[in-house]
Amino acid sequence: MRRKARKLDEILEIPVELSTNNPKITIVGFERVLIENYRGILEYQDYFVRLNTYIGIININGFNLNLEEMTTDDLLVTGKIDSIDFESTTEEEVEEEK
Amino acid sequence: MNANKLLQYVSGYVNIKIEGYYIERFINICTTKQILLWNLKHEDSITLHASVEVKSFKELRQICKKTKCKMKIEGKKGLPFTIKKYKKRKVFILFLILIIVGIITLSRFIWNIEVTGNETINTEEILALVDQEGLSIGKLKGSIDTKEIINKIRLERDDVAWVGIIIKGTNAVIEIVEADKKPDIVDEEEYCNIVSDKDAIITKISAQNGTPLVKEGDVVTKGDVLIEGKMEGKYTDPQYVHAQGEIQAKVWYTSTQKVDLKEVQKQETGNQETKYSVKINNFQINLQKSVPKFEKYDTIETYKKLKLFSDFYLPIEIVENTYKEYEEVVVIHSVEEAKQIGIDRAAEELKEEIEGKEIVNKQVNVKAEADSLEVEVIYEVEESIGVEEKIVF
Repeated sequence: MRRKARKLDEILEIPVELSTNNPKITIVGFERVLIENYRGILEYQDYFVRLNTYIGIININGFNLNLEEMTTDDLLVTGKIDSIDFESTTEEEVEEEK
Repeated sequence: MNANKLLQYVSGYVNIKIEGYYIERFINICTTKQILLWNLKHEDSITLHASVEVKSFKELRQICKKTKCKMKIEGKKGLPFTIKKYKKRKVFILFLILIIVGIITLSRFIWNIEVTGNETINTEEILALVDQEGLSIGKLKGSIDTKEIINKIRLERDDVAWVGIIIKGTNAVIEIVEADKKPDIVDEEEYCNIVSDKDAIITKISAQNGTPLVKEGDVVTKGDVLIEGKMEGKYTDPQYVHAQGEIQAKVWYTSTQKVDLKEVQKQETGNQETKYSVKINNFQINLQKSVPKFEKYDTIETYKKLKLFSDFYLPIEIVENTYKEYEEVVVIHSVEEAKQIGIDRAAEELKEEIEGKEIVNKQVNVKAEADSLEVEVIYEVEESIGVEEKIVF
């Protein structure tokens, strides 16, 4: 069922972030990151933002990080960004597919 | 983004400060409850600054209790709060509205009339004429038919070549172009004599056309023919021509001044008082007691029309009365001084007539009387004289 639905999405050219729950991360310059499709904030500090998404965790490291705009599924982080890294939590699902 | 900010301003928002150990939880609860937070900023690890909409602010209190956070309002921003602030100042708002309404109504009237471009025509005459046609101070701007007025002025006055009325703000500017009085031009084709226009002694005469009737050194009076427009040939009949020529002559200008040896002069003591009053359409309010404490004084009144912008005159005038104290001083002149004063006064009187002309000689006659001096000053000036006059057969 799921595979069929995925095929249909491919045929209809529906963007991946809409058809699945994958987050869309847009980085503008070195000081703005827009994350769409996030689930919640796990940790928020001046130098560290940890976000939960449907497929894993996003860590943003930097200085003076602000959450400039926040809605239920969009988040705009501004500030000096050092690095962004991910922690995937969907290995089980991959195994299932196998 | 900007539209969003405007929306936030219109609906009003609150800047808050949150203190607590479960700030992430607080934010997450806010997002799940669809409470919009923005401008989140960490001050240190346990305090957070944020902005939130007014309508969702009440819910925040409950969330704070749940997450054991402390919340503090740092500032209320936006239109609802500004309105609330001014709601208490009803009189202020009332006056603001009154002033705006006042200005709008006042701007519909004419409060100042300016006449420009007139040199010889009296401004008052034009104003009186315009007044008859309905353009006067205090009239509604809409009721003025400028075209009609322009037509009336041009009909009634021959010395006005062109009139334009521009209404700028509350200011009506009447622009006038004066018509030059037509000089009596004698046509080139017509026969004419050259006639003296002053009493003079001829110093030089040269006729380009016509027969000179006077010689150098002749004394002429006003109206004498200097060059006749008639040529007599040896073999032909007399022929009439358009006389032309240059005549230089000495002309005398005299002025007699009587100078009293004992003169009472006004001398300003330097003391002066300035008093202001406000004049609203012929109704004058004195701001101070209007009689000055001086015994003898001159009054200088200056009127100043108030205007808002360059063209928005208000019907209010500020009158500045300056009272200058003076003393009457009796000055006794010596004969020499009196003579000099007389000469100076005569020069002043004749200034207009002799200005720009070559002064050949200056003669001063002094006649002493009991307590005064009569000074006669004669200027001898060399200038060109003569006007054309048509020959009438």
